[in-house]
Amino acid sequence: MNPGLDTTFSALSDPTRRAILARLAKGDATVLELAEPFSMSLPAVSKHLKVLERAGLIARGRDAQRRPCRLETGPLKEVAEFAERYREHWEASFDRLDGYLETMKKIQTKQPKKQAPKNRAIK
Amino acid sequence: MSKNDTAEREIIITRIFNAPRDLVFQAFTDPKHVDHWYGPRGFSTKTSDMDVRPGGKWNFVMRHEQYGVFKNRIVYREVKRPSRLEYTHDSGVDGDPSAFEVTVTFEEMSGKTKVTMHSVFPSAAELERVKGFGAVEGGKQTLERLAEWLAELE
Repeated sequence: MNPGLDTTFSALSDPTRRAILARLAKGDATVLELAEPFSMSLPAVSKHLKVLERAGLIARGRDAQRRPCRLETGPLKEVAEFAERYREHWEASFDRLDGYLETMKKIQTKQPKKQAPKNRAIK
Repeated sequence: MSKNDTAEREIIITRIFNAPRDLVFQAFTDPKHVDHWYGPRGFSTKTSDMDVRPGGKWNFVMRHEQYGVFKNRIVYREVKRPSRLEYTHDSGVDGDPSAFEVTVTFEEMSGKTKVTMHSVFPSAAELERVKGFGAVEGGKQTLERLAEWLAELE
């Protein structure tokens, strides 16, 4: 199921929820384990988890006692792929610019500024 | 919401170029030069006009053999030669809901230049649109890189 990028972004807009996802990227965890690094009550963490679950970003296990949380990569992938594509665009442009700046430097040395004094000392 | 409420819509890209700042700034702002390097892999950029000053515009098309032609417009909001550009990037249609805001800074680093591109996308709708654009199949994302990316958002 894909709830759409809007829901994904709104779920991602909170730093605690992003931290929870970053933690889950390393492996599944229970609510207790997730609550540990944050000075936050269990109900507060559960609330964040519900938002993430609704956005399809995490799934909860069936085990009624532990209900471990698992990262669902589908919606995140869409966002990350977009960011990745945009980054690729700029990396490609910057790679070309790197080479092109060398060309510009050569053009500049061939055509010194009009203001430059003619009798400039040569080192 | 805090000022971080755009964090999930921001992309920051940095690169250090082995060239003086004036030259790098010129490469970004001179129509003679910009078409030589700007654009995603596989695309060629053709500038029709470029006027780099507050309120001025840069109109260009990006062409790809397979994906076709994409119209682009940049409207400059702030121009501080040679250290800063702020602009809105859209498809050339007024009131384009998919416009995004970009700030480019040029920092001098003893003969080299550090360029930072900071882009803020307005809404998920824009992402949906840009997804079609370029249409490169991604999907190489590993969980680790995902974690890195999330950490970057902090």
